[in-house]
Amino acid sequence: MTGEKKSTNKNILIAVDESENARRAVSYVGQVLGGIEGFKVTILHVIPVPEEDYFPTSAEKEKWLSQHRSKVDAMLEGYRQILIRAGFHPGDVSVRSPMRYCPSMAECILAERDETEYDTIVVGRHGLSRSEEFLFGSVSSKIVTHARNCTVWVVE
Amino acid sequence: MTESFSQDDLREMASHWLPHHKVPGRFRIHKDTTDFFRVEYDDVVVLGGKPYLIRHNAKELRFGLDDEVKFWVKRAIDLRNGRLKIMKLVFYEHFLARIGDIEFECFRSPKKEARILDLVSRHKNFMHGYGIQDEKDNLIRILDFVKGMPLSMYVGNMELGHEAYFYGQFQDILDHFFECVQAIRFLHENGEKHGDIRRDHILIDRESGHYRWIDFDFNYRHRENIYGYDLFGLGNILVFLVGMGDVLLPDLKRECHPSISTLSEEDLNLVLNNRVVNLKKIYPYIPESLNRVLLHFSKGANWFYENTAQLLEDLGEFRNAA
Repeated sequence: MTGEKKSTNKNILIAVDESENARRAVSYVGQVLGGIEGFKVTILHVIPVPEEDYFPTSAEKEKWLSQHRSKVDAMLEGYRQILIRAGFHPGDVSVRSPMRYCPSMAECILAERDETEYDTIVVGRHGLSRSEEFLFGSVSSKIVTHARNCTVWVVE
Repeated sequence: MTESFSQDDLREMASHWLPHHKVPGRFRIHKDTTDFFRVEYDDVVVLGGKPYLIRHNAKELRFGLDDEVKFWVKRAIDLRNGRLKIMKLVFYEHFLARIGDIEFECFRSPKKEARILDLVSRHKNFMHGYGIQDEKDNLIRILDFVKGMPLSMYVGNMELGHEAYFYGQFQDILDHFFECVQAIRFLHENGEKHGDIRRDHILIDRESGHYRWIDFDFNYRHRENIYGYDLFGLGNILVFLVGMGDVLLPDLKRECHPSISTLSEEDLNLVLNNRVVNLKKIYPYIPESLNRVLLHFSKGANWFYENTAQLLEDLGEFRNAA
């Protein structure tokens, strides 16, 4: 067996939502890596394409989407400022909010990673009860199980 | 297609299907059903050029509580051929559902139900029908009336001891339920959830003997596991079928059941804290391979089914061994 060394880049992908756990994940990255040269961070929020069934009319769907996108933009900018305050150069912190069809949010996040160059994914752990995790699934657990060729940080 | 019916036309058609004294003297005709409270007994709703004579509002039958009238669901007669139909008018609702301590967002969607009706039009384990818009674009579902009783009532009405039920009736019921799980797999494979899987949402078709899923206009906002709630519903029905009803902790305590001291928290339903899932402790003749399937829905489980294929595989193992 040869010990081929894999080169690791310093690109970090933080997958977030509006939860307190996501905020903690962002803060953690700020505390650990803020002020250190060379790291580039992208804060990602995948907007799941809302189910067609959820809206009585397409006008309501468009209205919801437009309001939701404004909220997401504000949320991501807030997280970006946390990292900048923690010592990241503004040019090294970017945000992304693609809209995807997401039967599984974890798979959507991993698909984003596959399309980009991030060797580390950071997620917050939702404080789900065991029953809740069984019934509805856990994004962080699924990312840990299914992520390949990258490191995953799960922030409590 | 727009078709107008005179009062004489309607009376003539109705006279074929109703006793003379029940034929209304005058019909109120609706082509816009937006306000479903206005659509009443003896009115006629014209959809796609077909006249439907409205009979009673449907009721939700649930667990001995007062039946809830569903004003947006009507029994109707297709006046062209006398066939009994269920007409579901458009009713949107969003609400937070709760099971145990878990809250999740649910909503009712006519579009979803119409889409699934299209998908399952040839599937024997679903109700059949179609979606059609009224003149105000309300998406109404016209459903074939399934004659037969809900599975919950069928099992609940059995006057048998559990052992006689388990050895005499259960295998046949399980075979039919297995088909129902396969039917849900079919939905999931096509990207659809049932959304409201309950024991009273399977009707036993009196004519064909098939078990048929009904009422799929509910949807829930899923999180990571899109079909988790459907699977939980299937598990609850399976436990109900194996136990010949719910085996409830308070009942066992009241009866001073000999197994009560052996039960622990882990033997109970994952979410519903008073339901016993580890039924082998109550009925020791339940085979291990079947009980193992039940335990996936218990608090003691360390692994939950992620899809119907896994559940079917485990149930298949028990059926092959039986």
